[in-house]
Amino acid sequence: MEQISEEAYDAYLKERGLTRKQYTSMELLAVAAAREVPDGAFVFAGTGLPLLASMLAQFTVAPNMTLIMEAGIVGPRVEHLPISVSDPRGCLHSSMVSNMADTFGTTAMRGYCTVGMLGGAECDMYGNLNSTIIGGYWPGGVSGTGHGPHVRFAGSGGANNIASFADKVLVTMVQEARRFPERVEYLTSVAGARGPREKKESRWDYGLVRGGELVMISDLCIMRSNQKTGLLELDAVFPGVSVSDVVNNTGWKLDTSRAKEFKPPTEEELKAVRMLVDPSRIYLGRKSKREAAAQQK
Amino acid sequence: MAEIMTAREAVKRYIHTGTQVCWGGFSYTRRPYTIAREVIRQRDRIKHHFCTMNGGASIEEALAANDLISRLETTYVGLEGIQPVANSIRRRVQDGSIPLFEDYSNYGYATRTIAGRFGWPFAPLMAELGSDVPEYDVFGKAGLRGRNADGSWIDPRIPPKKLAIIDDPFDGWGLRPHAFEGGDTTANKTNAVDRVRESDKYTGKKGVKVILVPPILPEVTVIRAQRVAVDGTVRMEGINGPDAEQAMCAKYLIVECEQIVPSDELRAAPELNHLPAHITTVIVEQPFGGYPSAVPNYYDYDWDWWVSYGRTNRKSKEEVRDWWTKHVVETEDDWDYLQRIVGMKRLFELRATPAYGYRADLKRPM
Repeated sequence: MEQISEEAYDAYLKERGLTRKQYTSMELLAVAAAREVPDGAFVFAGTGLPLLASMLAQFTVAPNMTLIMEAGIVGPRVEHLPISVSDPRGCLHSSMVSNMADTFGTTAMRGYCTVGMLGGAECDMYGNLNSTIIGGYWPGGVSGTGHGPHVRFAGSGGANNIASFADKVLVTMVQEARRFPERVEYLTSVAGARGPREKKESRWDYGLVRGGELVMISDLCIMRSNQKTGLLELDAVFPGVSVSDVVNNTGWKLDTSRAKEFKPPTEEELKAVRMLVDPSRIYLGRKSKREAAAQQK
Repeated sequence: MAEIMTAREAVKRYIHTGTQVCWGGFSYTRRPYTIAREVIRQRDRIKHHFCTMNGGASIEEALAANDLISRLETTYVGLEGIQPVANSIRRRVQDGSIPLFEDYSNYGYATRTIAGRFGWPFAPLMAELGSDVPEYDVFGKAGLRGRNADGSWIDPRIPPKKLAIIDDPFDGWGLRPHAFEGGDTTANKTNAVDRVRESDKYTGKKGVKVILVPPILPEVTVIRAQRVAVDGTVRMEGINGPDAEQAMCAKYLIVECEQIVPSDELRAAPELNHLPAHITTVIVEQPFGGYPSAVPNYYDYDWDWWVSYGRTNRKSKEEVRDWWTKHVVETEDDWDYLQRIVGMKRLFELRATPAYGYRADLKRPM
């Protein structure tokens, strides 16, 4: 951070129409997610917000973390923001680059996957993620109707695997009631407790030997999984958001009894994410769906 | 002995209607575009194929846009930073024109390639448990698994089961963190093996569950490397993605490259090579042929091409197909494509900056 002069930062703010204190939704999410990374963590991150947040964590709260990208990258010192988990930018000054079987095998399975950062199309009350389909799973050749799912998403990629092996999973999503149902339509990734233990529906009942701690960072709030019940509960609301905003955008009866207020991003955090992580604003410049909709009105 | 030939000849000889092709590289990196574009040029002959891959989906997007995919066996159909879901694949899966799509996870697929690489009948996987990935078997539902009455395989390329789940005969002993005296040195701290031993899901018996996955054994794997020796020895630079494994799984391996070099050049440091000479079936030399993906130490991905294509592929199916017709089908070969459609000026702008392996000052406006 010392290497970024105040003059350079001021010029950047002016050019981009930003201020030191105000922040966008993407900046807030990156800061909130970065704060969840313990120092020394081995962080599996996908592209987009997960990568922004983990790079920011490296410059702020977790200087000793090791970034892992599933295409085969272990411990890079990134100078230019990668747009893919295989982007050569992600390989710069890595401890090792190898291959996918090796990253998941020698790193994740072998015991070096402490934090996973994921996104998803749906998240349910037990922290299950759907990034595969909405509106029926079967493709047209076997669906009986000739057509496939109503909406096809990208699919698991490495998300299922990271959710299976990480001690702690961070998920970032836009929060709308339909994206936060009681139960996901297709369970791509068991990121949280999976289901109630008393009904033998938990991740451990299905044979997963690690994990269970989920932190959901939506654009409205932070939710955490209750270690006893496995349910996601409201932990903190973002500035300008009310508890009822969150409840109205959640598809299950959300326990809000322990909700706190979120400490807004500091000027230092904003400077780091802007100047060191994504200066060309490849991701920071994007609007969340909520911001885009608000702008249209 | 590997044979050197043109992309046109390689595709004509090895890729036909319905051939199972495993496409190499990952997202925007070291993707075999020379062969992919040649498949698109020969689309009227090939019609469609069985597309297998673990690191999509840029080439697969192009193949789908040309209606060349009838079966898709894959893990991820996003375009990462450019487009959340590759639109030509998405719309065809939704409307049924890609009728079969078998989902795996990255590690599930990678584990299948570990089995294939070593010639194993199966390999163990500790992920996908508790999720819906093992629950939906598209090829099974389509009747493609198992044997015919005469004992032959219904489809020899498709294993009789998507996966099998057993109780670990070693009772979870080998898992990390392990019960070393004083604890394990791994970074992971959570360890629920004791709870999992009580699980009776899947097998009906108490025990640590393990998924077994069959190998992937494609008819053809296509990869791109920076350098291939004239004898077929392959060296890839930068990230390897799924390639070293899936190359070993195939019956035939087509390797396209920036440069064919004398054997001595790669044999001087054999520990840096990824594939021995005898694995390679065909070598195709085409400098810049990985464009518009990045080939580490040679050139970067063409960001502008991707951003612009991310708009093109939202037009109607016919318009997108016409776009491919004009840009690729009507070119003679990849030299014609690269010189006339892309232009040497652009290719030279993408040349990698030494010490970075990519173009350090590449502009990436959205």
